[in-house]
Amino acid sequence: MPLEAERDPLTDPRLIPSAADTRKVARASLSPPDGCPPTQAGVMDKFRMLFQHFQSSSESVMNGICLLLAVVTVKLYSSFDFNCPCLARYNALYGLGLLLAPPLALFLCGLLANRQSVVMVEEWRRPAGHRRKDPGIIRYMCSSVLQRALAAPLVWILLALLDGKCFVCAFSNSVDPEKFLDFANMTPSQVQFFLAKVPCKEDELVRNSPARKAVSRYLRCLSQAIGWSVTLLLIIAAFLARCLRPCFDQTGFLQRRYWSNYVDLEQKLFDETCCEHARDFAHRCVLHFFASMQSELQARGLHRDNACRSPEPPAVPEPPEVLDSGSGKAHLRAISSREQVDHLLSTWYSRKPPLDLAASPGLCGGGLSHRAPTFALGTRLSQHTDV
Amino acid sequence: MDKFRMIFQFLQSNQESFMNGICGIMALASAQMYSAFDFNCPCLPGYNAAYSAGILLAPPLVLFLLGLVMNNNVSMLAEEWKRPPGRRAKDPAVLRYMFCSMAQRALIAPVVWVAVTLLDGKCFLCAFCTAVPVTALGNGSLAPGLPAPELARLLARVPCPEIYDGDWLLAREVAVRYLRCISQALGWSFVLLTTLLAFVVRSVRPCFTQVAFLKSKYWSHYIDIERKLFDETCTEHAKAFAKVCIQQFFEAMNHDLELGHTHGTLATAPASTAAPTPPDGAEEEREKLRGITDQGTMNRLLTSWHKCKPPLQLGREEPPLMGNGWAGGGPRPPRKEVATYFSKV
Repeated sequence: MPLEAERDPLTDPRLIPSAADTRKVARASLSPPDGCPPTQAGVMDKFRMLFQHFQSSSESVMNGICLLLAVVTVKLYSSFDFNCPCLARYNALYGLGLLLAPPLALFLCGLLANRQSVVMVEEWRRPAGHRRKDPGIIRYMCSSVLQRALAAPLVWILLALLDGKCFVCAFSNSVDPEKFLDFANMTPSQVQFFLAKVPCKEDELVRNSPARKAVSRYLRCLSQAIGWSVTLLLIIAAFLARCLRPCFDQTGFLQRRYWSNYVDLEQKLFDETCCEHARDFAHRCVLHFFASMQSELQARGLHRDNACRSPEPPAVPEPPEVLDSGSGKAHLRAISSREQVDHLLSTWYSRKPPLDLAASPGLCGGGLSHRAPTFALGTRLSQHTDV
Repeated sequence: MDKFRMIFQFLQSNQESFMNGICGIMALASAQMYSAFDFNCPCLPGYNAAYSAGILLAPPLVLFLLGLVMNNNVSMLAEEWKRPPGRRAKDPAVLRYMFCSMAQRALIAPVVWVAVTLLDGKCFLCAFCTAVPVTALGNGSLAPGLPAPELARLLARVPCPEIYDGDWLLAREVAVRYLRCISQALGWSFVLLTTLLAFVVRSVRPCFTQVAFLKSKYWSHYIDIERKLFDETCTEHAKAFAKVCIQQFFEAMNHDLELGHTHGTLATAPASTAAPTPPDGAEEEREKLRGITDQGTMNRLLTSWHKCKPPLQLGREEPPLMGNGWAGGGPRPPRKEVATYFSKV
């Protein structure tokens, strides 16, 4: 809605958002604008519901990301154009490099894409404060993050082994020529040169050569056997881990799972609360600014017209308390300056509140109070201009 | 969109129906995997049999274990098996039912793989090419003259058309047709046998132990749903806990700032209102906490959930779970007469 000159931002009811509107906007980040036709709003609503359903449980979000990354890996592997150099020293480098470097990159991507890795590091590094740290929770989060991050690299390695091209390229020079009778007539250096060309089907030296096909076949077999063995080992390990976990310390596991979920939720909720507070703060700042601007203008106007007009005490409008109590956000409105916000955020980091809701309020006895007088001075003076 | 959500919820509502969906997907994936897999017979005398046996047996094992791993009921079964009896007796029939139902579903993908492998024939051809009866199919007179290793080397190359050099002894197509025939016959017999077995088990089972079966099915569904609901309740509780904790943190800040204001020398502003009354939203959150408001109590609750599950008997007055440690929940239910009838399942 364009802000026209004659509309008074403080008194025009159309421009002042109601408390309900502010809350709705603060809560639903995907809500459609007011002018949307009903069908669009319906679609957006359904999309938002689906989004929120998947976000409600962070475990399902993480599983979804893990699966997505695995699918991307498969697509990446199938679209990658493998290109063995077919030169004696470079084959092994290329083959092994392609077998190991992309998995490392995918592992790091998996760690990056997982929000819980950041939460875990924060929990690990925070000062103990009022809430003691439990290494079991950090270990639980670490193992869950690592398991999910390892899925995509393993998919790449297994695909590469089952496909065989990497293995053939890397180990063609290490094959024992005695196994294949076709090399009896060649000198050792000729044999090595020949073997280096084995991965390249189209090279003139080895095209249509039965020896090349035999060696290539042998190496691919070996590669597939290793691939299937690795798959089997991994799946047996996963199965045993899943079956035998309840046999060890089940109660500890339940507690660690609950509290690591709690840490994640608390972090999310704190971020949401801070967002709400920032919106509230910004709104009040803007209103204060308009109010002060208006009172300044009126004071100037009054001063100028003082000679001509009958002195009327200007009706300085009070900034409308649109976000008044009853909205339940009184605890947010008390924090009203930059220093206070900074102090709140640094206290949240350095001294998280204890996990005991029945304890009395007041963060740490006299810890804050003796600093408060300087606070009060600062805030009183800088309330208007400090944004 | 609604239909999608309904289907999604239906599949997720029950672990069994969810697993049925997963099984179908895995069976299709198994067939797709076989067609995408590039079978590569080594064509060397010692290695053929090993490679073929590996391809016939390792992927089915992998698929079976994958089917079990993806089934959440596995850890549920293990938990139910290992938990201390506490106030709820353990029923081995329920455990057996859960294991059977999991194993049956996990067997579908391996059976599909074995059937597709046998019907295709490449694996069987690779494994048994050295055992082909040369005297009957090829130039029988030339065969005894060859030393055994040479014969084996020749025959091992049958699956590889580009390097086969034994046409003078045995035409390659003859051997391939012969072995593929046998393989397909075996494949169809296998399919017939497994479907017959499944049919017999399914139709004959109601003749035996139907009552016990119904009970086991009910209680295994119950355990599954109870576990899911417990996890959901814990998540709700954690959310409410976090909300109230953060609110209290902000209020504590507020409180400390007010203390600071009243101590300040600039006492021009009127003292702020007293500690704000908790807003309505907070009351709702506190109720969701169900009286559990600190870490120690929550840990004790989780411990006693594992060590001492409540009995399967609703509506009876229970002694407090944790003695004096209970942080106070709602009002106690009125004392009831001990009923003479209680369902013992």
